[in-house]
Order: sequence, then C-alpha cells, then structure tokens
Amino acid sequence: MASNELKFALFLGCVIPNRYPFIERATRAVAEKFKIELLDMKGASCCPAPGVFRGFDIDTWLVIGARNITIAEELGVDIALMCNGCYGSLLEVNHTLKHDKEKRRMVNEHLAKIGKEFKGSIEIRHVVDIFYNDIGPEKIKNRTKYGRKIPLNLNLALHYGCHLTKPKDIRPWGNDVENPTFFDELVEISGCKSLDYKDKNMCCGAGGGVRGAFKELSLDYTREKLENIAAANADAIITCCPFCHLQFDLGQVEVNNIFKDKISAPFKIPVLYFTQLIGLAMGMTPEELGLNVSPDLKGVPPFTAVKPVLKKIGENA
Amino acid sequence: MEILETNKITEISDDLSNLLRDAGYLELSACIQCGTCSGSCPSGRRTALRTRSLMKKVQLGLKEEVLSDKELWFCSTCYTCLERCPRGVPVTDVIIYLRNLAVQEGYMQAPHIALCKMFYNTGHGVPINEEKWNKLREFHKLSSVPPTTHNYPKAEKEIQTLLKSTEFDKLTGVGDYEEKKDEKGG
Amino acid sequence: MVKADNGIKITGKEPPKIGVYICWCGINIGGVVDVPKLCGYARTLPNVVLASEYKFMCSDIGQGMIMEDIKAGKVNRVVVSACSPRMHEETFRRACEEGGLNKYLFEQANIREHCTWVTMNDVPGATRIAKDHIRMAVAKSGQLKPLQITTVKVEPATLVVGAGIAGINAALDLANSGYKVYLVEKSPTVGGHMAQLDKTFPTMDCSSCITTPKMSEVARNPNIELMTYSEVVSLDGYVGNFQARIEKYPHYIDQNICTGCGHCIDICPVECANEFDLGMKPRKAIYLSFPQAVPGEYTIDMDHCIRCGICQEACPTSAVRYDDKPEYVDIKVGTIILATGFQPYDARRMGQYGFGKHKNVINALQMERLLSSYGPTEGKVKRPSDLKEPKSIVWVQCVGSREFTGKGRKYCSRVCCMYATKQARSYKEKHPDTQLFIFYIDLRAFGKGYEEFYNDTAKNYGIKFIRGRVAEILEGENDNVIIRAEDTTLQRPIELEVDMVVLSIGLEPREDIDDIARIFNVTATKTEDGFLMEAHPKLRPVDTLTEGIFVAGNVVGPKDIPDTVAQAKAAASSAATLMSQKEVEIIPYYATVLDHKCAGCKSCLALCPFNAITFNEIESVAEINDILCKGCGTCVAGCPSKAIVQNHFDDAQILPMIETAIFKKPKQEEVKVE
Repeated sequence: MASNELKFALFLGCVIPNRYPFIERATRAVAEKFKIELLDMKGASCCPAPGVFRGFDIDTWLVIGARNITIAEELGVDIALMCNGCYGSLLEVNHTLKHDKEKRRMVNEHLAKIGKEFKGSIEIRHVVDIFYNDIGPEKIKNRTKYGRKIPLNLNLALHYGCHLTKPKDIRPWGNDVENPTFFDELVEISGCKSLDYKDKNMCCGAGGGVRGAFKELSLDYTREKLENIAAANADAIITCCPFCHLQFDLGQVEVNNIFKDKISAPFKIPVLYFTQLIGLAMGMTPEELGLNVSPDLKGVPPFTAVKPVLKKIGENA
Repeated sequence: MEILETNKITEISDDLSNLLRDAGYLELSACIQCGTCSGSCPSGRRTALRTRSLMKKVQLGLKEEVLSDKELWFCSTCYTCLERCPRGVPVTDVIIYLRNLAVQEGYMQAPHIALCKMFYNTGHGVPINEEKWNKLREFHKLSSVPPTTHNYPKAEKEIQTLLKSTEFDKLTGVGDYEEKKDEKGG
Repeated sequence: MVKADNGIKITGKEPPKIGVYICWCGINIGGVVDVPKLCGYARTLPNVVLASEYKFMCSDIGQGMIMEDIKAGKVNRVVVSACSPRMHEETFRRACEEGGLNKYLFEQANIREHCTWVTMNDVPGATRIAKDHIRMAVAKSGQLKPLQITTVKVEPATLVVGAGIAGINAALDLANSGYKVYLVEKSPTVGGHMAQLDKTFPTMDCSSCITTPKMSEVARNPNIELMTYSEVVSLDGYVGNFQARIEKYPHYIDQNICTGCGHCIDICPVECANEFDLGMKPRKAIYLSFPQAVPGEYTIDMDHCIRCGICQEACPTSAVRYDDKPEYVDIKVGTIILATGFQPYDARRMGQYGFGKHKNVINALQMERLLSSYGPTEGKVKRPSDLKEPKSIVWVQCVGSREFTGKGRKYCSRVCCMYATKQARSYKEKHPDTQLFIFYIDLRAFGKGYEEFYNDTAKNYGIKFIRGRVAEILEGENDNVIIRAEDTTLQRPIELEVDMVVLSIGLEPREDIDDIARIFNVTATKTEDGFLMEAHPKLRPVDTLTEGIFVAGNVVGPKDIPDTVAQAKAAASSAATLMSQKEVEIIPYYATVLDHKCAGCKSCLALCPFNAITFNEIESVAEINDILCKGCGTCVAGCPSKAIVQNHFDDAQILPMIETAIFKKPKQEEVKVE
C-alpha cells in the first residue's frame, strides 16, 4: 500500500480516551506527518477488554467486538489501534468470525437486533504494525535525520507487552516471538539505543483481569520489571499499549508505595508511548506530543514525571 | 486428629474434559504434564497458580476444585505458555474458557463485577467518571468528550441491547439483574 | 531368458473358463456378506464355469482347491475374491503357476479392504459392492493374456552411500562376502558422527577406539573402493543394473606425494570455523578433519582459501595443486545401500533457550567435542565465556524433539536421554565436586543395559534428575546461565543459576535428504518425520520401495549405535541375498509403443517418472525400455494417439471392467481374441 493511501478508522478503546488522551494526541500528530489519515469511529465502545470480558463470556466478547468492527466496515477502511489489549480482542474476534461460520451466524443474529451485520471485510492493524510494515524504520529514520539539532541519544527500555506479539500465528511478525526485534528497530532512531534488560519480554502484570481483581499481584510483576529496567540504567520506558503504560506510570507510584520495604529506592523512570519518542526524534515539540503537564489538574497522568527525560534531551517541559 | 487429612481421588469424570473437547480444545487431552507452562508463568513464580496442575485437574474432571479456585484468576493472559507448549495445547485459551465456566457457576471476583456494571452502564470498562478526565482531554487539545459511546447515547443503548441479547446482564448480575450479589470465591 | 509354462499349455486363444473362488477370510468378509450367495451370483456371470468358496483361500487347502481345478482342466482363468492383492496376489499367482497356469491369468477382486472393511454396517450395500467387484474381475479375467517374465543379470557390486558407522559396517560385510563395494562419502573422512563422540553408552567405550579400527579396515579391504570427499551426482538403471556417476571433489593436494607433515597447516594464514568441532575451535583453510581421519588426506577448503600461495611455497614435496579439478567416475552396481545419517537439530530455533546468544549455552554434540581427548580443549571441559571448568551444569532434554508445533520435530529422538546421562557421568567422573542436573520430561532407557546404566549413574554418581521441561534460559552475571522450569513432582517453580547449560538436541534428517531421495528415486516421507521411508515399517525395515536400493541407520530415523549397526548388517544381508541370486525377475507389466500409431509427438517422454522412454530419432517413434518401465500407466493415458499399450492393463481389459461396473448387467458378448 503506497503511503499516500494510508487511511484507517482509529479505534480508541477505553484507557486512551478516558485516562491517557495524550497517547492519542501524540499518535495523531505523528501520523499526520506521515500522511496517515485517521477517521473517527463514532459510537465505538470498549473493545471489549480481553482480560476481563472475554474471561466472563466469550460469546458476548465476540458480539461486542464485532459491533465495533462493523463501524469500520461501514466506513470501508481497516482499523488502526494503539492498544495491545484492543489488538488482542479485535484481531482475534475478526479472525474467528472470518473463519468460523457457526460463530459468525450466532454473532450476526445478535447484531441484527441493532441493525448491524459483521461482513468480515476489513483488517485490524496495531499502529506498531502500520509504522513498521507500511512506513518502515528506514523512512522513519530518514525523517529524523534533520528533525533535531542534537540527536536524542537515549537509552531506552522497550516493553513489547504480550498481546502485540502473541499468539503469533495470526500476527504479522513471523516465526520468532521469543526474541522479537521489530519494535526495537522502530525506536532505534536519533541515536537511541534499545537496551537488553533481564526478562525484557515479561508481562507487565496488568492484563488478564489481574490489575482489576488483584492489584498487588499485578504490581509485583511491575516491581520486578522496574528493578530489571533500573538495573539496565534506562532513561525511559517505551510502551506501545496504554494499559502497560498505565501500569508503568501510575503503577510505578503504587509500587514505590506498596513495596517500599522491598525495593532499595523509589523508582523514577519516565514512561513514554512510542509515538511520543518518534515525534521527539522528528523535532516535534513536547506540547504537540502531549508531553506537557497541566499545572491545574491533579490526579491525572503522567503520574511518574517525564521531565527528567525531557531535560536529558535538552527540552523545556 | 488434626494431622489426618486426605485429598484422595476416587472418581475421574469426563464431563469437564468433554466440555473442553467440544469447545475445540482437543490438544488438552494430549498434555504430557511436561511443566513448560508452569515454568514459563510469570504469575506462577509469585503465586500458588500452577498452570500445569490446572490442566491436569481438568483432565481428571475435578470441576468444582478448578472452577471455585481463586488461582484461576491469577493468570495475566500473557500467552507465553500457549506459545511454548510442545503439544500445542492452547493453555491460555483453556484458562479463559474455564473462567467462562466459573462465571456461569457464579464464581466472580467483586472488582470484576463492578467492571461489568460500568461496561453495562457506559459501554466502557474504564469510563469517564470524573470531570478531570474531560478537562485533561481539553488540555491536550482533544474534544472534551471522545467520539465513543460517551458521545452517542444511541450507541450506548445498542451496547445494552446486545448485552441483554447475549444474557450478559443475567450472567454477571448487572442492569435489570443488578442486586446485592453474594459472589462466590470473591 | 524366457521361462516356459509348466504343464498344460494355455495360449490365451482358447475360450476362457473362469473359476471364481470366494474367500470368507474368517468373519472379515463372511461376517458381513453372504458368501455362498455371492458364489451363486458368480456362477451367472459370463464365462464362469465354477464358483467355490472357502474360509481362508490363502491357506494350503484354499490354494489346493485352485491347483486341483487347473490340473483337472476345469478352469483356464482364476479369479479370487478376497483381500487386497497387496496381501496375497503373489500367493495365488504361485498357486496358479504350480497348478500349471500362467500366473498372469489370475485376477484378484478385493472384497475386503475395498468392501466389507469399509461397509461393515450396511449388509445390502456391502453385498452390492462385492457383486460389482466380482463382476468387474470376471470381465477383466476373460480378457487376460499369458505373460512371460524376463530376468536380468545382477551386477555383483554394491554402492554404499555414506561412510559413517552404518555405511562402514555394511561395506565390510559385503566386501567380506566377496562382493565389490564402492563406498562413497561426502566429507573428506569416513567415521561420520561417531568419530565426534567421546564415550558410548552404556559401556562407556571410547567411541573413536571402537570406530577407528573399522575405519582402517574399510580403507584396507581389497574389495572396497573408498571414495571420500565425493558425491553421487546421478543414477540411472534399475535393480541389478544401476549406473552411477560420482563426482570426486578436488582436494587441491596431490595425495600421492603429500607426506602429511602438516607444515602447510602451521603456516596457513586463514582461520575458519571447524565443522568437526562444531565451530568451537577454528581450523585453517588447509586442514585434516581430525587426527585419526581415514583416509589421512589433507584438503584445501576453497570457500575460505585466499590463494595466497604460502602453503604451495612451503610444501617440501610441492604437493599443493591450485588447478586441481573434480574427477568423475562412472560405476556399475547391482545394489545400493543408503546410509547417509542425520544432522543435529539447530537449537537456535528454540528462541527461549538462547542458543547462539548466551555464551555458555552449548549443544550436546559440542559437549561431546569438549569431552573428547582430541577435541578443542583436549578433553578438559571448559565453558566458552571464560574457559573455566564449570562447577555446575544443567542438561536440557527434548530440545527440538517431541515438539508438535513448528519449532522442531514431533518424534522422540531416542538417544538423548541416554547420551545426557552418559555425558553427566563422564564429567562427574573427572569432577566429583560438581553439581550436575538433567531436566527431563521422561527418562527413556529402552535398550540393553540402559536402565541399569541410568540407575547406576543416579546412584553412584549423584547426578540429579529433575522432572520438568526447561521453560526459558537467561543470562546472569559473569555470563552464568539461569534456567527456569517447574519441578513438576514437587509442583514448585525452579530458578537455578549454573555455570553452563547443555542442550540435548534431537536428530533430524539431513538438509540434503530431498536431493538424495530424488537422485536415488526413493521416497522421502512427506510427514514431519522427513526421513527416508522403509518399504514396510515392521517387516521390511531396511528395504525401500525401489527394488535394489536399501537403507540403513539414521537416514531412516533416529537410533542408537547397536540399532544402526544391526540395520547396516541387515541391509548388507538383503543386498547379498539379491546379488547371490545372480538374476532378478522383471514384472511384465510394461508398456509398449505401437510404432504404426506413434505420431512422434514426444509427449510421453516428459510423463514418465522412471525415465523409461526414449525417442528414436531415426524411426521417429518413442521407445520404452521394458525393464525400466514400472507399468504405472501414465504414458498409456497421456498418449494423444493412443499409441501406447500396456501388458495386463490394456484397454481391452480395463474397458469391460468399467462398462460392467456402470451398466451392472454384464455384457453378453463373445470374447474377442486378438
């Protein structure tokens, strides 16, 4: 697909529009630079979250997921999304309903009650997929060449998350998901280095309904990840999923609190969504990328300060 | 005598494993209990969850034990076990399916029931429930209300119609079925 | 040479008198269809003069019935309705022959595998199908002609491909039986993988000590022509008369004047990976595979040689020849034994184990080289990162085996449980103060002395066997290795930091097995197994479906040394049996071109899978070699002029079968005699 034909329906999910809107801001801003057109999906709902709702009733999950997909089918474009959880849901709902006649029939029986029909006419794309496979790291690298006077030169701890890469059979990443490198390739721009840290591919702990029902358990995962990331001396954590982002951002504060007797010192590693990093490398301002912090609002992200990384690259927050 | 206890198995039932076979998870019957799943599990090394044991209990038909156990909900669905299982057992999907069965039996965690309520009432598991979230959107130059069910009441009604249609409301005790639900295993 | 008929002369021109014999096969057929009723039906068919039935037609009594009727002149065609021809066609044919009837005047109707075994619960249906089969067989029977068997001489020579322990043993047995053997080996030396091993289980024999004497023997034996650093590039012919072309790669060294002084190796400036030591120690571009290599011939690896000329200058006998060229040898043999062995699984495919990434994760064959006294560290096991002797080692079992996903092979590689136990024991013998662990799913100790060996190793050497498949391997501080698994017996997660990890990799078919299968026209199994297919898994384990070609050793499937040698000896015996008969029979199913009908379009040439058709430019017609022809019928069907006919499957024989199958009622026609 030629890059001037990149047009998608942007699926927002829950966490991005309702808790972490700057992820949408940054992604839209960077997408525009690459002439990616992102349409609104009016009336979209929760994907529905695979970790919880799929675990309660698979059929309901298929039906609600299918409804979201029909919104994009009616627009006649593929879905682009920014969340691993939404990706896990919509990609698998789409795949299941495209191949299982019985399930499709069942789903369409329910959808008929609201006048909708799942047709199986579109694909589901994570923005990492779009940036890697449609745009390509080379093109991104070229765009960053003259983007900033001084390269970023950051040491980054990437977090792929889980649903981006697994189960691998219906995802576009090839055969090896034990040691993937595609996300690293996307962010090793402007002098940035993607660090190898212990248990890099481990889950953040938020998913599967764990953060919801057993917060401390989820935070123990996060504590372990933060310890490993800190040991690698990372300047920032880079995410591609808002739930992982939340877990590392708000979760970092919670870990510092709950596990204060277990950890040697409080963690203060900034967390960035990958489009924010790409934007910075291209010379965009922190404000354009949602890296500015509201002086008035309390109890909103970023919970873990991003100032340190902005300072490191010579920006004023 | 306190020291006397037994968990002897005296009956092996096919009911639970047949349910899983009918759902398409045939490979579970070929599980050789190698322990790759438990060995890979990030939850298992900090909780009592033993994924491999769970698979065995299903094979032996210990339905009540499997469905009522809180450990079933300790899995973060990271899919590492599914990817590494040498027999191709779709472990994570089996756990998700078992969760479905547990919910049908009334075993749900209280915070999850609360999530279902929010889903039913707003169409989102994590909805805008305070003004600060609208203000944060405005601060980042986005519309105060996102173009989701929050801005389209018709869409919200559609969600509820569907949730009623699949009997999700009855299953999880929300909407018309909302009552002081005594959750088991909560 | 043509065999004359025995007894009663049937020319095939007499009106057919068909005897139909219906078998009950116990309850297999008789338990589903009414056999006496079928007999009654058979009697109504054209040209059938009698119909008999018996519980087991293949028995002596059953066969006797046929022979009696023939001798008494009652029948001159025989139809047996019973099991599949693949079972007893030969039995009944011989019975006919003994009775005095040409064996190709026999036809078998399959009313078991093609009828009662698949239509067990539908008696009327099964009966209808049985009648169809019998009617069709009778229709063909009326059109059968007697055929003569040709025989061909068998060349008393064998080509053995692969000189590992299997090839070596097969070659020696055949050579000592008086047959000429061409032993072809792709690498510069004989010995195969066995030469790489340190000790062998369960006896703890030093592998090279038991292999090298055989290696020398094979080089000395006057009946064996050893061609190393050579490859079979083409094969023509058929059983008893194969022609093979062998390419002998150039060594770039004149072996006749090389004294093996080794000076060239010392001064060669190029270092490259040493395949024999699995990349653990470099070798020079000019090299000898290992000290006890047979033949002890030096070779220049032109993929890495930079042609600096230093070795050429330094060689005291001027043996280096950069202009050396490959040599081609054409040989004629009667039999072939394929013994090309296996290749080890590439553990990089199991990403979670970090092979190729973590410095101190090695595979079992590399461990063998480390343990070996002529290995890269001269028998002192040193871990790659710092060359220190490991104080703790974990063996990971089932790497690349028992894998039902795409990462490896589904089968069990059979030898890994034992070799890991052996390696652990070897290391512990020299280093009693170390901690050695084997993480397994099952410990398979199936062979003679194996369980005792396992018991002894655990008991007297304190090796710890832990049940739990290793889930992932990480790198720790100082390049130490961390393994994660669950001890499934204790139901507890284990995270262990050790000095080194050895991956017990499986045995896979060689990368070039498809090429081998293609050249030798044998079938490589298309299942995930990927090994060469035996003619029958139980009863013909060293035969292939290509007559005259046998297989032995790991080329058929993973196995240990005793089984490999047993198969090698079995293959040699089978080849000797064939060659001792001096002649072999050719089944007369071949196709023939009718010159007057052949338009010379050459379509048939490409169709023949056996390369049996050539074109005669002078007469402008196609010609079929009746010995190479296997009677598959493809050219017969493909010829646009219908110029090709086939013995025993002629249109005149097949069309009546089709007509009677469709039209049910047998066509009451006079038998056409050509």
